Amino acid sequence: MTLKALAALTLISALAVPAHAQQMVFTSWGGTTQDAQTEHWAAPFSEATGTTVVQDGPTDYGKIRAMVEAGATNWDVVDVEYDWALQAGEAGLLEPLDFDIIDRDVLDPRFVSDHAVGSFYYSFVLGWNPAQFPDAQPATLADLFDTEAFPGNRTFYKWSAPGVIEAALLADGVAAGDLYPLDLDRAFAKLDMIKGDIIWWEGGAQSQQLLASGEAPVGLFWNGRLAALEAEGMPVGISWDQNITAADALVVPKGAPNRDAAMAFIAAATGAQPQADFAAATGYAPINTGSADLMEADLRATLPDAQTAVQVNADMAYWAANRDEIGNRWYAWQAE
Amino acid sequence: MLSFLMPARRGSGLGMALPALVLLLAFFVVPVTLLLTRSVTEPQPGLQNYETLLGSATYLRVFGNTFLVSGTVTLVTALIAFPVAWLLAITTPRLAGILFGIILLSMWTNLLARTYAWMVLLQQTGLINRMLMAVGVIDQPLQLTNNLIGVTIGMVYIMLPFMILPLYGVIRKIDPAILQAAALCGASKGQALRRVLLPLAAPGIASGALMVFVMSLGYFVTPALLGGTSNMMLAELIVQQVQSLVNWGMGAAAAFILLVVTLILYALQLRLFAGRGV
Repeated sequence: MTLKALAALTLISALAVPAHAQQMVFTSWGGTTQDAQTEHWAAPFSEATGTTVVQDGPTDYGKIRAMVEAGATNWDVVDVEYDWALQAGEAGLLEPLDFDIIDRDVLDPRFVSDHAVGSFYYSFVLGWNPAQFPDAQPATLADLFDTEAFPGNRTFYKWSAPGVIEAALLADGVAAGDLYPLDLDRAFAKLDMIKGDIIWWEGGAQSQQLLASGEAPVGLFWNGRLAALEAEGMPVGISWDQNITAADALVVPKGAPNRDAAMAFIAAATGAQPQADFAAATGYAPINTGSADLMEADLRATLPDAQTAVQVNADMAYWAANRDEIGNRWYAWQAE
Repeated sequence: MLSFLMPARRGSGLGMALPALVLLLAFFVVPVTLLLTRSVTEPQPGLQNYETLLGSATYLRVFGNTFLVSGTVTLVTALIAFPVAWLLAITTPRLAGILFGIILLSMWTNLLARTYAWMVLLQQTGLINRMLMAVGVIDQPLQLTNNLIGVTIGMVYIMLPFMILPLYGVIRKIDPAILQAAALCGASKGQALRRVLLPLAAPGIASGALMVFVMSLGYFVTPALLGGTSNMMLAELIVQQVQSLVNWGMGAAAAFILLVVTLILYALQLRLFAGRGV
């Protein structure tokens, strides 16, 4: 190629992209969740602002820390677990959020902090495959640990996170109000009783496969994954009794190259309508208090929002402060 | 004109290898060194990460599991690969071509998809258990996943090409007349295999075994999906430490131990089989 042709090509490609066009990177966990985030958050945002949202993933905490420490951050907004967000904020890995742009007052106060706002929230719920329990159906977290009355494998979330430890303690008779500080000895003793029957799920798709195939007829699931199975026409048993809430958060890693676009994106994604649309698509609950009014009543009834009376809130601040200690013990116990 | 392609002196090979060496230095040696540094500087300077790893019964079990799984996989892979490599070496080029196609085709399929497929086949409500129960061989489903059996099956399947190819390379060069000579001298088939064929194929077995063993040591996806947490391997420990707990120090220490073990094995192989072909 001649120099002249090269110069012409450069000029054309420069003209093709308008000078003011902005771009930012959004990173999430992949799968149906990120698909819904792309469709209901990123697409309307791009349409309204002209900012292109590049999707990346999966979320990786080790990577975020490495990026920030190397001064080479290239993720602008990341969907992370809420307890990790609090810990990372403390550790200086995140930009403080700009609440002049993000409207704090319309957000569920359970899921707002200086460095993170909720992305969506969800509940760990008891789920089972009705075909495998022709007589009595499980109904409480205690039944999840009762392998005599309800035999078969159990499936739980594999990674150290709020949810399973709380469930073990609640099943053992600890009152919801007395959960924290977590009595880890008691929780692991309870889990030890069924350890041989546990199959761990690493991600939502695997949890659905285990339940649908009957490999694990009962377990503790993200509510949205059970809703998705039901939507596909599979009979699923769900008990909301003592459903345990946890949340994802939207954060901006320190040194994000498009900080302003990132704040604008978070403001838009946490808006009432995008949150309502995302909830309708995934079965996870909106964190904007105005979203409920925008949703159909029968849809609202299937969300964790409708189950607050029997809800137990995992203490995110407690988890953020004790995440490493619990995690080390959790993984060591798993490997025993 | 093509004189630059002709090795005029022996030393000039270095010049041609330079791009590869620079690449290795920039993208392997430097990052590994940086990682190693983290293992002795985080969370504070010192050897505490190594102390924790080597001083806890749990983590030692993870090391034990890693070697147990890798060893089992290597052994089973070798047993299955040997007859296949033999067949490839003695059959017609046409059939060998088809067989190679089948072996390589499996390598071109996505690893995660293949592992998920095994999960669906092997689990208690899976195809294999249902078939065995339907024909009455068993009346309770066998536990084929979440344990050593599942990991071994899944990994052997993935590792087979890495054993077959080096074995084939060595066996192909063995003159079939040698086996005829052995038979003429009165060797039984077993004796010919043990005393003639296996020693001649030993360098191929060794390099295949080293490749499979070392790759298995660092495997993550298959053990995570087909094995239970009680068979946890080192790679999974590293992922937990780095991705979930963001503890680069411990993750780096575990990775470094893995690297040292690999280098020791490699050195051993060089010493034992240096100058014996392959």
